[in-house]
Amino acid sequence: MIDLLSYGCIGIGIFFWFWGTFPLLGERSVLYKLHALSVADTLGSMSITIGLLLKIPREWPLILLALISLAIWNTILGYVLAYCSLEQETHD
Amino acid sequence: MNGILFAMILALLIPMYEAWKDDDVWQKMLAFASIATKTSIMILVVSVFRDDWNIGVTGVIILSVGNAGLMLLAHIVKRLNEI
Repeated sequence: MIDLLSYGCIGIGIFFWFWGTFPLLGERSVLYKLHALSVADTLGSMSITIGLLLKIPREWPLILLALISLAIWNTILGYVLAYCSLEQETHD
Repeated sequence: MNGILFAMILALLIPMYEAWKDDDVWQKMLAFASIATKTSIMILVVSVFRDDWNIGVTGVIILSVGNAGLMLLAHIVKRLNEI
């Protein structure tokens, strides 16, 4: 049962990866791609990590650290990339 | 296990192709950020399936500090564009 659940989580994560990465190939703006990619990469990777956590519960401190750093760093990276890729505007 | 890894490598090929094809620096950065996350998750998956936590620690370290370098790089590129 647990095994099935963990494979389900990993499968959902890989589906998210594909779903969010395919817009990279299109000719859309950077911000559109960034949005799809950050949602898919963060949620998909977190789902895969939860699947791994269900598989090996005894290593939970490390996996939890990976999960938290994924959630925090990927969101911040999304903001920083969006801010930096905008055209220069004077904010003063 | 092999099926999962094949699917992950397939997903990894998309941002690699994008980074190779596109000349715009921000699209390249985006693809590189995606590659970084995907490879570190792949490292974690391999370490869990092999039950080898020396590999797993590497993946967690990459996840926890790796993106900081990309953020610094983005700021440097922005500054260079301003000059």
